[in-house]
Amino acid sequence: MIRKELRQRMRERRGWLLPSLYLVVLGAVVTFAYFLTTTERGATGIQGSTVGVVLFLTLAYSQLALLLMLVPIFSAGSITIEKEQRTLASLLTSLLTSGQIWWGKFVSSLLFVLLLLVTSLPVLSMAFAFGGIGPWEVFSATLTTIIILACMSAIGLYCSSAFQRSVHATAVSYATVVAISVVTAIAFFVRLTMYESAHRQATVGHSWYDIPLSIRAPMYVNPFFFLTASFAPPKQLYPAWSTCACVFITLGALAIVLTLRNLRRRAEV
Amino acid sequence: MIDVEQMSKSFDGTRALDGFTLHVGTGELFGLVGPNGAGKTTLMKVLSTLLPMDSGTAQIDGLNVNGQAREIKRRIGYLPDQPGVYQDMSVREFLEFFADAFQLTGARQRAAVERALERSSLTDRSRNSVEQLSFGMKQRLVLAKTLLHDPKVLLLDEPATGLDPLARIELREQLKQLQAEGITMLISSHILSDLEDICTQIALIGSGRNATDAEGRSVLQLRAPQAPVRIYEIDVLGDSAPAVAVVNSTAGARTLETSAGRLVVEIAGADEQVAALLRTLVVGGVNILRFDHRTLGLEERYRMVFREGRP
Repeated sequence: MIRKELRQRMRERRGWLLPSLYLVVLGAVVTFAYFLTTTERGATGIQGSTVGVVLFLTLAYSQLALLLMLVPIFSAGSITIEKEQRTLASLLTSLLTSGQIWWGKFVSSLLFVLLLLVTSLPVLSMAFAFGGIGPWEVFSATLTTIIILACMSAIGLYCSSAFQRSVHATAVSYATVVAISVVTAIAFFVRLTMYESAHRQATVGHSWYDIPLSIRAPMYVNPFFFLTASFAPPKQLYPAWSTCACVFITLGALAIVLTLRNLRRRAEV
Repeated sequence: MIDVEQMSKSFDGTRALDGFTLHVGTGELFGLVGPNGAGKTTLMKVLSTLLPMDSGTAQIDGLNVNGQAREIKRRIGYLPDQPGVYQDMSVREFLEFFADAFQLTGARQRAAVERALERSSLTDRSRNSVEQLSFGMKQRLVLAKTLLHDPKVLLLDEPATGLDPLARIELREQLKQLQAEGITMLISSHILSDLEDICTQIALIGSGRNATDAEGRSVLQLRAPQAPVRIYEIDVLGDSAPAVAVVNSTAGARTLETSAGRLVVEIAGADEQVAALLRTLVVGGVNILRFDHRTLGLEERYRMVFREGRP
């Protein structure tokens, strides 16, 4: 199943077009960040490690944003395409189990996104050249990005199993990406502002944990906050990272259960 | 080989199958006919384990369809009403993928794929993209894919839809060949002439139930000898209305069709009833030009069952 999926993906035009575009955009963003940093601070007074950190952070956030935009393309159409080309009935009446079908689709869509992650390594090496970034930062940021992408792939596959048409599944997947990335951030900042103006206390903002949990809660499903948590020193933000990881893994697991249920129902085949 | 008892299946309150019963013997080529929405595709999907039934029982080769789905899948080959293909694969890749899906590996897989290529007459095109095949070739490929794991039972849902006449003839020949190899087949189709040519028996389905003909049969025997169907064509001189009145007033007889100077009459019972009707018509003053027994084709029998709304 995985071999078939990967073979089909690599034969599509987007198999080479998307990685190319991805690298071009990522390269452009990092180059822009480099010139912005060096121009602002002046060519003489700048520390190499500062440039390295700026480039690394720019790369990590840009990469996450781009991959979040690409995940629905690979996952949300994965099962609906079988429905559209009427091959799902043949798969379900073969000896492949629903779990094997899901696993094949999941691994192939995730592997393709991971391929993009790997192709960005040369761009990442630019940040290394300036220093200021250690292996731990790279590891934690990469691990966090992979958890987020795996969860979003699982959600995309759920959408794919729930809808008949790829266009609908992809639209709902994108809506989910926007909801967790943008809507949660807006909800957080609006409620924080309201809370601060109501209390007018200096304590708010000193520490993440001084903010009431009811206000913080939406940010635990925000992928950019999750990534931010991975950069913080372990003692300071480690609990937040763990909470985010639990939330994303739970969301992903829920999506898996619902997808398998949809595949086993089979009524829409 | 296929035993269905009182099968029911509903979708959102609509009964697609309503106590349908069917028995298909080993090695039979069994047809299933009925109008659109009669429940044929639902029956096929339940038998192929794609849908669970609400009530009733269904067994294939002695295995319960609901409870032993995996074993059932080893024994059946299911061809959906609109089978799909992976356009971007080559013919061989397509067959190899499904051979993998049926857990055929190594030498068994190679042998199964070669046999499938021969069966579908696509050996020369094995490296071609599936996209390049004609509709008929794709249908042959999908049928060959369905046979990869040597199923004992084939469930074919409208296999001839969209095929040109030559491809239909080839399909009929292929199905006859498969029957000769001992494979049991259940075929639903709207192309009655095809079914008439290849099937041994045909089950009638309407509104999810067993439909019956005028003689109360829900399964029509096509190959085995059967009781004569007592349909007569009567040509009369002049107006046919008096003849219609006589026929309809005779016990066991009724008019099926009337046109200028011609009646099609159904007579229930033995030869005595036919003779009695003829005598009554003559005594009643009807000038008979022709009184002829007619053997009904499947198409006509189908029309009689379903046009008259007799589920």
